[in-house]
Amino acid sequence: MTVNKNPHTNERSDREPSGAVTTSDSNVESTKMKILSRALALSSLAVSLAALPATAAEDGTVVLKVGKIITNAGAPIENGTIVIENGRITDIGPEAAGRWDAPVREFPDLVAFPGFVEAISNRGMDRPNENVDVAPFLDVRDSIDPVNFYFEDCLRWGVTTVNVQHGSSCVIGAQGHVVKPFGMTVEQMSVRPRSGVVLSASPKRGKASATQAQALRRSFSGLRRYLEGLVQEKRDGLDFATREARYQGREPDEETARGRVMSGEGWKVDGLELVPRWEIDEKQEPLLRLVEGKTPAYFYCGRPMDVRVAIEVARDNGFLGRTTLVLSSDCWKAADEIAAAGVAVILSSTLVSIERDPLTGEEIETFVPGVFADKGIDFALRSANDSTQSLWYQAATCLGNGMERDAALAAVTTTPAKMLGLESRVGTLEKGKDGNVLLYSGDPLSVTSFCEYVFIEGRQCYDRSTDTRNRHIETGETPENTAPEEGAGEEDDLVGEEGDEGDGDGEEEEDGAKD
Amino acid sequence: MMITITTAAICLLAGADTENAAPAGQNLAIFADVVYTSTGEVIEGGMVRVRDGKIRVVSKGAPAEDDVHVAAVTAGMIDLSGRILSSRAVEQSNEITPHVRATDAIDLFSVSWDRQLRSGVTCVMISPPDDNVIGGLSAVVKTGGPRSLSARTVKADAALRGAFGSQPSRRNHPAFGRPTDFFSRRPTTRMGVEWEWRKAMYDAIAAASDETRAFAGHERLMQAMRGELPVVAQAWATQDIRTAVFLVEEMAGHVEGGIRLVIDAGAEAWKEPELLVRSGSAVILPPFDHDGRTSDGAFMAWNVAALLAEKGVPIALSSHDARGADDRLAVQGAWARRGGLSFADTLAAVTLTPARMIGVDDRLGSIEVGKDGDLALWNATPFEAGSRVIGVVLDGELVLDPRGGK
Repeated sequence: MTVNKNPHTNERSDREPSGAVTTSDSNVESTKMKILSRALALSSLAVSLAALPATAAEDGTVVLKVGKIITNAGAPIENGTIVIENGRITDIGPEAAGRWDAPVREFPDLVAFPGFVEAISNRGMDRPNENVDVAPFLDVRDSIDPVNFYFEDCLRWGVTTVNVQHGSSCVIGAQGHVVKPFGMTVEQMSVRPRSGVVLSASPKRGKASATQAQALRRSFSGLRRYLEGLVQEKRDGLDFATREARYQGREPDEETARGRVMSGEGWKVDGLELVPRWEIDEKQEPLLRLVEGKTPAYFYCGRPMDVRVAIEVARDNGFLGRTTLVLSSDCWKAADEIAAAGVAVILSSTLVSIERDPLTGEEIETFVPGVFADKGIDFALRSANDSTQSLWYQAATCLGNGMERDAALAAVTTTPAKMLGLESRVGTLEKGKDGNVLLYSGDPLSVTSFCEYVFIEGRQCYDRSTDTRNRHIETGETPENTAPEEGAGEEDDLVGEEGDEGDGDGEEEEDGAKD
Repeated sequence: MMITITTAAICLLAGADTENAAPAGQNLAIFADVVYTSTGEVIEGGMVRVRDGKIRVVSKGAPAEDDVHVAAVTAGMIDLSGRILSSRAVEQSNEITPHVRATDAIDLFSVSWDRQLRSGVTCVMISPPDDNVIGGLSAVVKTGGPRSLSARTVKADAALRGAFGSQPSRRNHPAFGRPTDFFSRRPTTRMGVEWEWRKAMYDAIAAASDETRAFAGHERLMQAMRGELPVVAQAWATQDIRTAVFLVEEMAGHVEGGIRLVIDAGAEAWKEPELLVRSGSAVILPPFDHDGRTSDGAFMAWNVAALLAEKGVPIALSSHDARGADDRLAVQGAWARRGGLSFADTLAAVTLTPARMIGVDDRLGSIEVGKDGDLALWNATPFEAGSRVIGVVLDGELVLDPRGGK
């Protein structure tokens, strides 16, 4: 079905998907304009992505003929064709051909590139940080706001896969959710639910480093005591846990009706097979999944000293193999420790870390991704909250600092895809992968190139020529009959007030769900 | 791969506190795949030779093995938005202080100098803060060299600095009871700011013919009105740009010559460019913001630089002393390019145009024989997201060596 991005124009497109479709259709245009102007009037310059052109087949089937395909998996293809059927790439190459009735779109001047993959983000949510210290029983799906401007920006900048996770101000955060930035509901956006749990080795507000580490360890020792207690109850023939589970409203299903031996590489509780899994408290169950190595862990490290704590907690509890460290820019100092532990990392958006030599007062700049590349550590880049520094810019910055193009591109495509366990679906343009295609006016890493179209799973989700909000930002043009932008004319900040200055900027970057 | 870039090279000169910017007779040749001279000439396979701090030869040339060879060379960049001052640099006695010189508050030991220098900015204009309506006199200085003002100064009293809009009135309040701070004063509104400007101008005119009405700095105001001293005035929003332009036009009826206006931080200059054309004003653009929201409620469209260039308004880009690597002047050039500004205009907006605005184009702003040997050395075509300044020549001396540790 047609996904309507704007709540105020919640009308389904009633056009039938047509077979051979031309790229311009005056009737479609006028419908688009009508929807557009209404959306703008109602929601102050929201980009209306409501106006899906009829050319995007409803079932995600389309044939894209483009001037150049950068597959990100081997040599580029000049004048190539990408065949997407039911949302998946079924053929790609100079001679690829699709189903006879598949709509064909021709873009001889554009360059195709796979969608960028955002390894972790705290944006697009209502509030990224829960007050409760240990909250893995929560799920960000209940916080994701599908009409948040952040998801529009993702399309504008070519990000088609986003791992939305709890913020860094926690001990153990909520369950994350991998989404595509398109859809009216989280279900429509969903790529992978329960995509991992966030932990933080940096002190949550109000905690000291030591109490934070203690709180992390206590979460797991508490889980262990709880499980041992359950086993003892079963051995004693008591059924408190069963009654408690029923009282909480849980019922067994086929999978949880029986107990299982505890798996994973960490500590074990003997006799856990005696406890039917559905009886395990919902506040403890996500932690058990972590210890059993069944869920990825994203461990925030706001300072180099936090790295040791994170690795130790992950190792002691058996989930080091599923851990990705989310680092602040100065954590490059702990690169040796990270390399020894063999974990992958997500880097802060500040790629050049600046610190002052305490003796000479000089500033020392360190190109952070270079350190990790040299140590052979897998790293992914992330966008800054400031949307101009999106993934393409981060990759380009790596080029500017001497990194090979392939390595820089991997850090915003294939490496994050691997971290999310989505390497078979996103990151490159290859047969069998999701039909996530960006069409650029030139080299995707050039400042003068623009992302003109975005296809996600074969459906067109973005067309720059109809992106009214973008046009407003680029040219100042305000479409007729639109309300003035909210906040215009506010005098809240003045010259001379600079942005955040800190090196340990992980906190600020991660916390702000900006909208 | 380069991991750590120390700035030690830049500071080699710091210890040698001599008045001579470069040792006599030193000869340095820089080779580049492309030399962008800022004069319109682009030399492929070019060479720039500097000696005694000045550019001596600009020609084609092929490098030998040990020569400094980079992808591109431009003139050292010029940033007119510098504020490398001691933190308490606002003169508190009055809101009109045209006699106060920013030079006297410059902090020569700030890390900002090296930060600017290693990012390819070899010259900055340092201005008084905009908490006063007319703050005083700006100075144009090199970002490196001996740590002495006399050695670094290019032009001491380069412009008269002032501000329109809300900043000079911001936080101000009338003094009830005992005045306790700097902000116990007027003006408290935009209207008040404008009134202070006009009053200062008319007072200066009156003082010119009546000695008894003289006040500190009135000659500076007269110089500005005669067009002998450019007025660089902060005005973010279009209403403040209008105020500035109308003031310029009003004063032209009273004093021969006319104010040479440079709007600083003119984020909304795109709204009424014809006003700027009409008054012959120039614009310094503030750093780009991703969704266009800058200060003072002003909205800066991404195509502002391209639009002004098309109308023939001289533009300079600026970085507002950005600390992070992503906000410095070279990156502002890249964003201007993204907004549609041509490469040549972008190059001009960080080199020759700012030099002209403040009257130092006889020495700076382009790669020409006889000009100062200030060069920025790039690893790729300038003003791209993937390009960076990797070497710097200041007054003929290689202060940041693109060859790394050599």
